[in-house]
Amino acid sequence: MTTSADQSQQLSERVTEAFAHATPLHLRGSGSKDFLGEAVDGETLDVTGHAGVVNYEPGELVMTARAGTPLAELENVLADAHQMLAFEPPHFGANATLGGTIATGLSGPARPFAGAARDFVLGCRIINGQGQILRFGGEVMKNVAGYDLSRLMAGAYGTLGVLLDVSLKVLPVARTQITRVFEHSAAQALQQISDWQRKPWPITAAYWEDGKTYLRLAGATSSVDSACEKLGGETLDDDTTFWRAVREHERPFFASDDRPLWRVSLPPAAAMLDIDGDCVIDWGGAQRWVQTDMEAVALRRVVKEAGGHATVYRGDAQPRFHPIGESILALQQRLKKSMDPAGILNPGRIYPEL
Amino acid sequence: MADTAIADAAEQVLASRPDKAQLIDKLVAKLPEHVVLHAEEDLRPFECDGLSAYRKLPMIVVLPETIEQVQIAMQVCYANDVAVVARGAGTGLSGGALPMENGVLLSLAKFKQILDIDTANRRATVQPGVRNLAISEAVSDLGLYYAPDPSSQIACSIGGNVAENSGGVHCLKYGLTTHNIIELEIVTVEGERMTIGSEALDTPGYDLLALMTGSEGLLGVIVQVVVKLLPKPERAQVVLAAFDDVRKAGDAVAAIIQAGIVPAGLEMLDNPAIVATEEFVHADYPTDAAAILLCEVDGTHAEVDEHIADVREVVEREGATEVRVSRDDAERAIFWAGRKAAFPAMGRISPDYYCMDGTIPRKALADVLIGIGELSKKYGQRVANVFHAGDGNLHPLILYDANIEGELERTEEFGGAICELCLEHGGTITGEHGVGVEKIDQMCVQFPPDELTQFHAVKQAFDSKGLLNPGKAVPTLHRCAEFGAMHVHNGELPFPELERL
Amino acid sequence: MQTSIIPQLRDTPDGQEADRILRACTHCGFCTATCPTYQLLGDERDSPRGRIYLIKQVLEGEKPTQKTQTHLDRCLTCRACETTCPSGVEYAKLADIGRELVEQQVERPRHERVLRWLLRHIVAYRNRFAFFFALGHLFKPLLVGPLAPLKQKMPPRRKALAWPKAENAQRTMLVLDGCVQPVAAPNTNAHAARIFSQLGVRLVAPKASGCCGALSQHLSHREEANDFARRNIDAWWPYIEDGAEAIVLTASGCGASVVEYGHMLRNDPEYAEKAARVSALARDLSDVLAEEDLSQLGDLGHGRQVAYHPPCTLQNAPQLHDNVAEILTQAGYQLTHVRDPHLCCGSAGTYSILQPTMANELRSNKLASLQAGEPDVIVTANIGCQLHLESAAGVPVRHWIELLEPAAAA
Repeated sequence: MTTSADQSQQLSERVTEAFAHATPLHLRGSGSKDFLGEAVDGETLDVTGHAGVVNYEPGELVMTARAGTPLAELENVLADAHQMLAFEPPHFGANATLGGTIATGLSGPARPFAGAARDFVLGCRIINGQGQILRFGGEVMKNVAGYDLSRLMAGAYGTLGVLLDVSLKVLPVARTQITRVFEHSAAQALQQISDWQRKPWPITAAYWEDGKTYLRLAGATSSVDSACEKLGGETLDDDTTFWRAVREHERPFFASDDRPLWRVSLPPAAAMLDIDGDCVIDWGGAQRWVQTDMEAVALRRVVKEAGGHATVYRGDAQPRFHPIGESILALQQRLKKSMDPAGILNPGRIYPEL
Repeated sequence: MADTAIADAAEQVLASRPDKAQLIDKLVAKLPEHVVLHAEEDLRPFECDGLSAYRKLPMIVVLPETIEQVQIAMQVCYANDVAVVARGAGTGLSGGALPMENGVLLSLAKFKQILDIDTANRRATVQPGVRNLAISEAVSDLGLYYAPDPSSQIACSIGGNVAENSGGVHCLKYGLTTHNIIELEIVTVEGERMTIGSEALDTPGYDLLALMTGSEGLLGVIVQVVVKLLPKPERAQVVLAAFDDVRKAGDAVAAIIQAGIVPAGLEMLDNPAIVATEEFVHADYPTDAAAILLCEVDGTHAEVDEHIADVREVVEREGATEVRVSRDDAERAIFWAGRKAAFPAMGRISPDYYCMDGTIPRKALADVLIGIGELSKKYGQRVANVFHAGDGNLHPLILYDANIEGELERTEEFGGAICELCLEHGGTITGEHGVGVEKIDQMCVQFPPDELTQFHAVKQAFDSKGLLNPGKAVPTLHRCAEFGAMHVHNGELPFPELERL
Repeated sequence: MQTSIIPQLRDTPDGQEADRILRACTHCGFCTATCPTYQLLGDERDSPRGRIYLIKQVLEGEKPTQKTQTHLDRCLTCRACETTCPSGVEYAKLADIGRELVEQQVERPRHERVLRWLLRHIVAYRNRFAFFFALGHLFKPLLVGPLAPLKQKMPPRRKALAWPKAENAQRTMLVLDGCVQPVAAPNTNAHAARIFSQLGVRLVAPKASGCCGALSQHLSHREEANDFARRNIDAWWPYIEDGAEAIVLTASGCGASVVEYGHMLRNDPEYAEKAARVSALARDLSDVLAEEDLSQLGDLGHGRQVAYHPPCTLQNAPQLHDNVAEILTQAGYQLTHVRDPHLCCGSAGTYSILQPTMANELRSNKLASLQAGEPDVIVTANIGCQLHLESAAGVPVRHWIELLEPAAAA
């Protein structure tokens, strides 16, 4: 267990100072997700010292913890009470922190079924670009007082504020979990997964790789059993390891070659893209991992036509995130300015303009 | 941050005196005459939403029929620095669509089309005036439904649901509006069309979808919504458990959650609420109970059987005096009918009611309910409680008679005290109804000045002139200062003649 | 809801009733969801809640104009809002009060006055209506201008069936003959009488009875409606004293009016008591028949597909009970699924004549839902709906009672 310490004041002073001198800050936890987005040129603001669980009452289904708390530690605490982070965040490193998890807004295979990281954020405490400590949301299930700035923090890559504490909704671990495997082409898999999702079955993940569809069911024992009976397919042994590997990009697919790796986000039922490369399908079709040598612009054109966007995970392509329209970018610039008027928080991490 | 500049802009808009005749001319020059209402006779029916305690005659009502007309209305208002209040079905309970005497009320009620149902991706594209329930009805044959179900779902519109981030009976398991929409089409204050979110599950850049949802019409006008559809559960069943003590009922709620069950809905009604709704619905609620819990579980047949048995065991252990399980969908509908019609059913026992919306940690349920009972004695006014117990989302209904002088004022003060009680227990002043005008003063208690200032700054990024629904949701610091002062002096609240900033 | 009704109205019976109704309204807006006109127009002023507000303004002393009148005219008085309202707001009663107040203050254009006068003075009188009905058929091409909507409303002439003798019947019930029905669909009551006679009940339609008064009520002449009510009470009273068991209403539109006689005449010392008794005896045909043993009728339907349109009056008047679906199913008919049964077909008394545009739009929507299940026949329980639907339907439209005597109906 790591030490528990509240460094809110120190961090706030650092930001206040930086604001006064317009010094750019590079917010950093363990650095496990440094590979995402653009590099930030600035003084490092290390938040790992601000760690520890602030409040956790299993009966309330809420956990509040400091941003520097290691994700693995949180998951252990939750597991002891038979609870979990239902959005199944990827760690991408042994020391991944809660702050980095929320700042990048990443979610694992359960995303389309359970919800995304942002869906579980109930509240947070942040330091804005002027060094002020602000609290939004709370520890209750529903809260519509004021703008929903806490969910806005998820996926903002620290460009709108330094996360201090985050309150998350947590859920009981399902009583039973089973994964079934089916032989499918990619097109068959997309069709089949779309059909399955219209059934009231307790599906919590749907993944396709190399001719096989993997469908995870989790919930009440009776419910999982009856769904399996209707579904058929083969049961996968040790599926917990399998899904961890999917989540952490440890499947052989992700290590297989040197081509750039793209994350392609699409409407779940979108047809397979007509591109030269290899692909696996996660999120029931809504997230596809593509390894291709295709030019970024050309790939993004195809993806956009299919209603999605593409992010670089590995490789040198620029920009890392899919470019957005002019007026929406202008709006986001104004939003950034409203929270970080001097532009000192992770400038350029998402786009040069933010 | 130039907070004073922002506050000045907001207050200037509130105090502005636009030339009505001139604005009518400008609107009618670009819009069909019948969509611009300006005679008092026509305006009066729009003077309030579902919270009729607050009324303001709008200067002008615009009833656009196309998105282009919405854009034109916004462009004209923007060019003339006129405030705009957007309105859906007008069922909101916090006065979020309360018009302005110096502003335009923009009704989206004519946007009633369901534009597309995409079964492969399980989503529907709808216009903002579509009724919440109409979506579920339209996709029912496909085995799908739209999950958030506010009690007013028969009448409330999806645009309003997004603006308020509406919840409902089933959001414990299925989430609020924010969890169930994937894309919005908005018209900005300048009259520009913009897409927020996307057909995929996420969008590059900031999550503006989360920010727009629940922004109470202060950031943009919603003109199209893409909602997520879910497969209808194979079966749903409700346990009705009666208790002779509110504390026992409150504890049973926590116990159900602790047992690892996530019910689809978990609702509580106290005795006055049971009695009032029973008269309308005839659900055979036990009218002598101190409180009843309605606990719905859904899923596959086998799963429901499993959970119903669990719930029954928990509530019996917690001292339920009577436990009933719905035998079929018809009975289940009747169990719920009382709950869903509970608010307006108060019209049968009292001419007016004032609905609060505080949310608290579940463990504080019993204490807060008992605290509300004490406040009820102190203020000498009846309260009925009917609420989303599973979420800790309270709905105390303060009963009053607006025709008796001073009663509304006393009621507001009582409501304020309930809000503050919720905050003392680590809660929030509003779980799903929004701040609107009703709870704007309590925002000053929930949020310190720095947070409020940050909210204003965010607002400015979307609406630099402060024209969208000014005076709602986020109070100016000036107003809070005034409220704070009044608060100290106590008892004088509120001044009806004082402009509700 | 807060009210401040002007002093000159506040203490009148209407003023007091209006205040009581308004105070029950919490402005929740649930009513807008089932209001056919709001669902079509999306205008608050064309919703029950908006109309309540328009009426409230008048009660509070604002002078209405033709605009308020238009929105009140557009209301079908289908009362779907009342069934939806959790607060128990008696909208229709308020609408009657409001319409009459507005009528007194706003003069209608000449053509509207002519049409309304004609409706009140011809349609409500059986013999005059029969005369003009015959004439109308003769001079159909001459129906132009304000009378043009009537052309389309002209139902085909039908051959009258014989009324049974039923001399041996032990029991007696009254039946309202009404105004339009005996002329436009003379066989509805004849069918009813023949079926009742098989069940040992003599159905009597006293000659002196006539229009139920709904026409005048809809056209904001409540005192005239009261006179019709008194006339019917007088015609029925001797039979009631002789032990007539019920007043059977074969047109639910009339039924909704007769069950209100007690309320309409509550302040008339001479009639109040009788009227209350009449209202208590008034029942819908299906409600009465459901209590009889219909098994002797046997399997009449042989699985024929029937789309049933329950009239608004039968769905929403709290004192009327609808057993049509059960009876038809028992008689061997297969009822098709009909979407949105709560939405009005647009007939609504004189509405289809006075508001043809809205009425026709509602009718096409209604027919689309009724015909979606590909029925062999559409049935309903009110003469107004029957004629209105018939004029545009692709399949026959009948009163449901005809299906219990298929041989005679053929």
